[in-house]
Amino acid sequence: MAAANRHKAARLRRNIVLYAAAGLLFFVWAFPVFWAVVVSLKSETEVLAYPPRLFFEPTLLNYRDALVGGFSILPSFTTSFIVSGLTTVLTVVLAVPCAYAFARLRLRGKKWLGFYTLVTQMVPPVGLVIPYFLILNRVGWLDTYQGMVIVYLTFSLPFAIWLMVSYMEDIPREMEEAAFLDKASRFQALWHVILPQVRGGIAVTVIFVFLNAWNEFLFAVQLGGNTVRPVTVAMYNFVSVEQTLWAKLSAAALIAMLPMIIIGFAAQRQIVKGLTVGAVKGGGRR
Amino acid sequence: MRSAAFRKEGSFAALLVAPSLVVLVLTTTFPLVYLFWSSFQNINLAMPFLDGFAGLDNYRRMIGDGGFWHSIGLTAIYTLATVVLQVAVGLGLALLVLRIPAGQWMFRIVAILPIVLAPVVVGLFFRTLMFAPNFGILDFVVRWLGLGPVNWLGAPTPALVSVIIIHTWQWTPFAFLVLLASLAALPPDVYEAARIDRANALQRFWHITLPLIRPALVIVVIMRAMIALSAFAAIFAATGGGPGTATEILNLYAYRTSFVTLDFGYGSALAVALLVLTMIVSGALFYMRTARTS
Amino acid sequence: MSDGKGRVTLRGIRKDYGSFQALKGIDLDIEAQEFFALLGPSGSGKSTTLRVIAGLETPDAGTMTVDGQDVTHAEPGERNVAMVFQNYALYPHMTVEQNIGFPLRMDGVPRSQIPPLVLEAARRVRIDHLLHRRPGQLSGGQQQRCALARAIVRRPRLFLLDEPLSNLDAQLRLETRVELKRLHRSLDVTTVYVTHDQEEAMTIADRMAVFLDGEIVQVGTPDDVFNRPDNLAVAAFIGSPPMNLLPGRFEDGAVILAGERIALTHRSERAAGDVVAGIRPSHIRVAETGVPARVVLSENLGETMLVNAEIEGRPVKVRLPEVRRIGDGETVRLVFEPNHIHLFDPQSKRRID
Repeated sequence: MAAANRHKAARLRRNIVLYAAAGLLFFVWAFPVFWAVVVSLKSETEVLAYPPRLFFEPTLLNYRDALVGGFSILPSFTTSFIVSGLTTVLTVVLAVPCAYAFARLRLRGKKWLGFYTLVTQMVPPVGLVIPYFLILNRVGWLDTYQGMVIVYLTFSLPFAIWLMVSYMEDIPREMEEAAFLDKASRFQALWHVILPQVRGGIAVTVIFVFLNAWNEFLFAVQLGGNTVRPVTVAMYNFVSVEQTLWAKLSAAALIAMLPMIIIGFAAQRQIVKGLTVGAVKGGGRR
Repeated sequence: MRSAAFRKEGSFAALLVAPSLVVLVLTTTFPLVYLFWSSFQNINLAMPFLDGFAGLDNYRRMIGDGGFWHSIGLTAIYTLATVVLQVAVGLGLALLVLRIPAGQWMFRIVAILPIVLAPVVVGLFFRTLMFAPNFGILDFVVRWLGLGPVNWLGAPTPALVSVIIIHTWQWTPFAFLVLLASLAALPPDVYEAARIDRANALQRFWHITLPLIRPALVIVVIMRAMIALSAFAAIFAATGGGPGTATEILNLYAYRTSFVTLDFGYGSALAVALLVLTMIVSGALFYMRTARTS
Repeated sequence: MSDGKGRVTLRGIRKDYGSFQALKGIDLDIEAQEFFALLGPSGSGKSTTLRVIAGLETPDAGTMTVDGQDVTHAEPGERNVAMVFQNYALYPHMTVEQNIGFPLRMDGVPRSQIPPLVLEAARRVRIDHLLHRRPGQLSGGQQQRCALARAIVRRPRLFLLDEPLSNLDAQLRLETRVELKRLHRSLDVTTVYVTHDQEEAMTIADRMAVFLDGEIVQVGTPDDVFNRPDNLAVAAFIGSPPMNLLPGRFEDGAVILAGERIALTHRSERAAGDVVAGIRPSHIRVAETGVPARVVLSENLGETMLVNAEIEGRPVKVRLPEVRRIGDGETVRLVFEPNHIHLFDPQSKRRID
């Protein structure tokens, strides 16, 4: 009995230590976002109070300003939606058939093509933004939607291909063989048998491509401008212009990031899957 | 004879692959070729009258450019520090969270948060809410601890530390989630066998856990190194490369040379240097991976 | 039911995977409407042969015809064959009904005609109450029936089964075996059945081909293969445990084994020479006289008993019809039933009649 009790006590102590350490780390990662939420609810004078106060009279004025005020985030929000949406649709339409061929079909030089796709994914963005600036400048596509979507394909397409390849490879070959014996053509086998089985993978791809496009900054700030100004650029400009309006910044930034935060929580499982699949296959670029 | 079916399959495959490949060639390879070409040119939007073929001038200039070597050094420090911190903290956290009996899901959720935020927003949050003198929480905490005011983003060394902290904060959850997944997938019977063989906790970690999650660790290192080498938005938002050039890693230096100094020729050469550096690092890491596993 | 055809001919079929020769020139004739088993250990080429017949593998050399028509390079879908895969390959995102109906849909059968055909096929294998489930919600046996239904719904010319019972538990396997046989009778479709289980092949097949190392070593009825093995390879493979093979000498209508002379009633007109004598464990008795053997281990199998013994250092297995006490290390005397001794030529390894 005594030994059992001692054992119990030791386990309790161990758990307390574990939870304390884990709790501390939890706090470290949760705090900045939590604090942004707190600040977004403060008035501008409240923000400047020192030491910072945790208890105050919350206000939603900053959110109102961020949505309908002089500096409204909504136009940028729309822009981000258009750019990210178009990028996502194009990427999936292009990547899924390509991934199927890479995963399953015999094709001369397939290995090299796969390697090529993998390498394109490693190109540092600054190596692309410089030529793109010169090229798009020449054809007059700077600050246009088509220019932006083309640029976004450079990182979304290779990533999506490799992510989809790993999902395609998980499907047993007998599936297609059965379909062929059932008189399905190659296209019918892909359409009726393979695609429905990689719906989960397509969802993960959509989430990641959309997320990456939404959060992209370097291309957007340099190749966008006034017509095409995604939320990331809008946030940056806001801080440059309004140095100290932090409450408003926090509110605007939280609105700008809200779709991503919602996606993050709703599709948490898919994101972790995508990260791990990418990790196994060497894909994934942010 | 057999190639009849093969040809049929091959042409179908080509049909599926072609659109993606054409787009990739046009959107990535063509600009890259253009980048190489422009790295051998004088392209200066501030002094367009000097434009023309430059030969190896831009590369020659790079060798004598103190700013370049400074940014290379910073890139090395930044990449090494962030990767080591992410993997070490991420692994530690994963081992810790795996052992808590309940509430693991909370960590998974909170870990998603930094990953889904735009790096530029993270940089801005840290620049204002965390690090700002007199107002930032971190500044407040440090002063409250009696460590005096630290000019986080205004002095060279603290600024470098700050951008490393920011990067580590945002991306450790990635390492954490991947390693947590691979740790959770380890077969429990191996540990039971090790216990019967009287391996203690440290020995189990060293002789069983580490070798088993090695592939995942290596991949995490490779991916994080790639990302660190091309980190931009968070540093740009937090310090803009400053103060002075204290946090200007090669990526930002190439950017500033091109888009602020408007010297696109030299900027292109710097970007090529970064590209080569990235290839070398990834090549070396991939080589280590295959060399050790095979 | 079918158009009454389905004669398959394979001539000189070769298939290499890199340096591995999976099929080293297969010749095979499968008659119309027969239940034909391809039997062999794993890696022997039986599954590859089935996949060649299905059109899933293209042979490197050789031809295949069905009813006289060359289909060597025909696509799987052009061959009018149906196959049940080892792991069934049911489409996980479709219901049982959609799974069974899929080949009809692909065949361009009008939508309105599909449901009655699906129902009929499902009834035949008694899963008509499960039509709206998905494969993931079915037991192993039900999945197998679903795969069968999907295969028969189209009335194929050839019906291919790749180890269809191997994922079922022992009890279900016995039941399904009987049912497969009944299904074959009612459908009257040429059926090619791959298995590594000789008991399965013996009980179910009209005829069978025994595969070893990418070659067919014997073709015949189960009775032929079991009672008249063509060569040493088949003799050493068929039976559980297989035949005992002992070196001996043939002289004057008798075989001499371990110094003991056993007169054979038949085949007396042969010249003297070395032979390999094969005898099944159940055709050896323990008696007062005969070849001396040392018992290594006796295994009690419940109804029968298996004695592992050694004759001059060579292992011999004896199956006794009743259990009795035999101590390990004991020496017993064995009598070989003369009319059950098979003789093989040690050089050509072929059967001597």
